[in-house]
Amino acid sequence: MWVTIPFGAMALLLIPLAIGTDAVLLERIGPGLYWVIVMLFGVLVSVGRASVETGAQRDASSLLGLDPAAGYVGRSISAAGLLIVFELVVGAVAVVLYGFDLIGIPWLAATLIIVAAGLGLLGSLAASLVGSGSAGSALVPLLVAPLSIPLLLGATQAYEGLRLGDSILPWMLLMAAVVLVAAIAGVLTARPLQES
Amino acid sequence: MPSEIPNRSWPWVAIGVSVAVALTLAMISPADAVQGDLVRIMYVHVPAAWLAYLAFAVTLVCSAGYLFTKNLRWDRLAASSAEIGVYFTGLAIALGMIWARPTWGVWWTWDARLTLTAIMFFVYVGYLALRRTTADPRTRAGRAAVLGIVGAVQIPLVHFSVVWWRTLHQPASILRPDGPAIQDPIMRWALLAGVIAFSVIYTSLMVKRVELHRLNDAIHLAERGEARPVAGASVAAPNLDEGARDV
Amino acid sequence: MIAATVIELRDIGVTAGSTPILRGVDLSVGGGEIVGLFGANGAGKTTLLRVIATLLRPADGRGTVLGADLSGDERYEVRHRIGMIGHIPGLYPELTLGENLRFAARVAGIPSDQVEESLQAVGLLGAIDRQAGASSHGMQRRAEFARELMIERDLLLLDEPHAALDQDAVELVNGLVGKIAANGGAAILVSHDRDRVTAVADRSVELVDGSLR
Repeated sequence: MWVTIPFGAMALLLIPLAIGTDAVLLERIGPGLYWVIVMLFGVLVSVGRASVETGAQRDASSLLGLDPAAGYVGRSISAAGLLIVFELVVGAVAVVLYGFDLIGIPWLAATLIIVAAGLGLLGSLAASLVGSGSAGSALVPLLVAPLSIPLLLGATQAYEGLRLGDSILPWMLLMAAVVLVAAIAGVLTARPLQES
Repeated sequence: MPSEIPNRSWPWVAIGVSVAVALTLAMISPADAVQGDLVRIMYVHVPAAWLAYLAFAVTLVCSAGYLFTKNLRWDRLAASSAEIGVYFTGLAIALGMIWARPTWGVWWTWDARLTLTAIMFFVYVGYLALRRTTADPRTRAGRAAVLGIVGAVQIPLVHFSVVWWRTLHQPASILRPDGPAIQDPIMRWALLAGVIAFSVIYTSLMVKRVELHRLNDAIHLAERGEARPVAGASVAAPNLDEGARDV
Repeated sequence: MIAATVIELRDIGVTAGSTPILRGVDLSVGGGEIVGLFGANGAGKTTLLRVIATLLRPADGRGTVLGADLSGDERYEVRHRIGMIGHIPGLYPELTLGENLRFAARVAGIPSDQVEESLQAVGLLGAIDRQAGASSHGMQRRAEFARELMIERDLLLLDEPHAALDQDAVELVNGLVGKIAANGGAAILVSHDRDRVTAVADRSVELVDGSLR
């Protein structure tokens, strides 16, 4: 976490060096870039050491009678918690560097939470699918990224909608649907995936 | 266990006939009023895209089939279909780009369908990559089945998000003229023949690929049944007398 | 209630990919028995322990542990009755020893005041607030024994139970194992220390060539 946050902030700093420092352009694209950084780096957070168990830990919690589905939900919640911290810190950096306004703070807060929940659930599900090992952990971002595109589009378009004064409910519902699908899939497959 | 893949000839005959018919119709169909001969790429691009979607739908159904029955036959079908689907998706994207460059002046446009197709490509590349990380057939089948279903269920959500996004961000009309409506009957027949030819190719590839997977699984099973040494046999008692260095 | 037969394995086989690790393993352990399990490095002892712990489904053969079929879902129902301490600690390194045990107590539905009692029994009460990751291997093992003391198990599986432990802790381990056996449960001790294990075990088996002798 203390590596990923600075790395994400560094990425936000590097982008204007590559595409230009026009303030109007950066203000326009800032929110989208922020959510791309959240999506790409957030996956690293959700499968980082802080939120994934070792084999011995998993065995110990299994023998305590911990249901694999409960373990999946717990890991996802812990990942989502870490992601919210990541979003807040990197979000502050993005606002400073790119100068865009924070409009509709309650809706923005809801977006932060839903995206964190979605990435946490998808990341935990992907981590369960690939199992342990370095080859597997490198695969997790590739599995999560395309499936989290509705979260990316929902978050960016929700901000656009707030900026233009349009309804953002469809985007919020779409993101909620992603969260629901990931949660159901993770809970239903937790037991058979633990077996493998 | 069969020692070789049965050399059935019907797939090759069927492929040959259907491709010949499709090619003939594609060549004799008239050029488009706007695109000229460039329209003939569509006779390959559209069937390739259609087959890609079909292949991934088959992967979804067969993944569910495996989870319900735990029969590895379903997994072989799912994997084979996903492999073929990835190739067809790549082909569709490449042909689309080749068509787009002279038509729209760009290699890529953020059209909803194109974007969705590219996303699906990555979803199933991930599916194939996941299969390669797991050696045990049953473990691999279970994990891949979960991803096959989750990926497919998420596709409608991805589709809606991309379509809504493109609806809000219509590209400039000069880049995105509406696709031509197919009026000429020969063009329609050429397109249909292309779809049939690709369907025959898909079916033939599936037959071969499923058989290959079955043979691989049979080899794996046979190796397990052989009197192979157990893993622990690779550890022997140390012998300090041989190869010991003077200290 | 513990049945007369705690572990019944018939022709158990486990493979990794196409490489067999266990082959044709037969084992029967009754209530009150303490069994020592020996074998060379890489013989598959830990794998067998994980099969018995219901954490690894065998590829071949049939077996029951505490009456639950190893190939069915009923094995989830008996897991809370099985304790296992592996050679790699299963504690969360970011949590303190006390927090690790409180977490285990909470999941197992045990009053948390038993945490301090258990740590006291293993001599770790003074280290209750020490981070597990900052504790020595021996301390972590003691903490895991404290966890098993706290939870009433019917089957205890110990992998290298005496490793990294001083003499006091060794006697603690023997006491814990004896207590479970006295209550009608069973214990399996995997070890390279034949003397210490045979001193406490009722019988011993050896894993050779993937099978038990």
